[in-house]
Amino acid sequence: MKDDAVRGHLDALLLAALEQGPLHGYAIIAAVRERSGGALELRTGTMYPALHRLERLGLLRSDWQAVGERRRRCYELTDAGRRALVDKRTAWRELTCAIGAVLDPSPAPGPAT
Amino acid sequence: MTARDPAGPGHDPIEEHLAALAVALHGPARVKARMLTEARDGLADAAAALAGGATPDDHAARQAVRDFGSVDEVAPAFQRELTVAQARHTARAVVLAVPFLLACWALVTVVGGDQGRHAPRVAQTLAAHLGGVAAAAALLAGAALAVTGALARRLPTPHRLPLMVAWAGTTATAALATSALTLAVAATLAGSWPLGALIAVLALAVHARIAASARACRRCARAPLVATGEG
Repeated sequence: MKDDAVRGHLDALLLAALEQGPLHGYAIIAAVRERSGGALELRTGTMYPALHRLERLGLLRSDWQAVGERRRRCYELTDAGRRALVDKRTAWRELTCAIGAVLDPSPAPGPAT
Repeated sequence: MTARDPAGPGHDPIEEHLAALAVALHGPARVKARMLTEARDGLADAAAALAGGATPDDHAARQAVRDFGSVDEVAPAFQRELTVAQARHTARAVVLAVPFLLACWALVTVVGGDQGRHAPRVAQTLAAHLGGVAAAAALLAGAALAVTGALARRLPTPHRLPLMVAWAGTTATAALATSALTLAVAATLAGSWPLGALIAVLALAVHARIAASARACRRCARAPLVATGEG
């Protein structure tokens, strides 16, 4: 599962990856890969513009920080970003619940005859 | 930490890819440089990870570039952000220029009034119209700043907005250029030609800055874009 699976959920994945603390670009990719058990792989070329957009919207802030021997642009959630993540989680749960109800083959309990 | 091709010195797949991406992108130099620096870091990290901690070789660098995406695939998303950044630069310049224009006119009026001399009625009428045009451009620019900022969490950013901002900037520059001339004449007629000359130079400097930004904004707006999910 690569780009197709991620499309439409990129913002939520980026916000969730940063929930535990600031990370630089490639560390975000590694975090998403690790948390998904290797199923999801963010594409570097589409992630950076998305990070910029989320920062412009005030959901992330970023700064150059020393990581190891190099300086990297590290991103972290703002308060608005944390609120947006809560909203996106709620929307995702509602969506998966609704789709699960349609796809689940188990019969719905009907009226007793 | 990028790979060198043994085929020849200076041949680096990552740098070549970034150079091609840089050619395809238009926008504010600082924002563009930052995006490319981050992309370079990401590619170098990806190549290092693919090399398993060893010094990345050409194969790892090429694989990292393939995973990054071709220029045709990724440039539209980068360009969209650069276009919005350029539109915001232009909008900010327009929003700041209008109070400057009004302050200049107030200064000329006050100086002329102190000396008992007033600008001709035609100049006053022209200044009022120019002020109206500049204020309308500033309102549009202010709205563009809001719509591309925090408000974009809830509202999608119209794809034509950068072009609208570019034309608002162009309109503001025309108003500024005409204002520079009008204010210089008015200040001279009000008995203060050094003030008139100063205002004209300042107004023309602001005009040049906004005109360049608006031109860059039009160029960005013409670049191919991709729809991205805002918010």
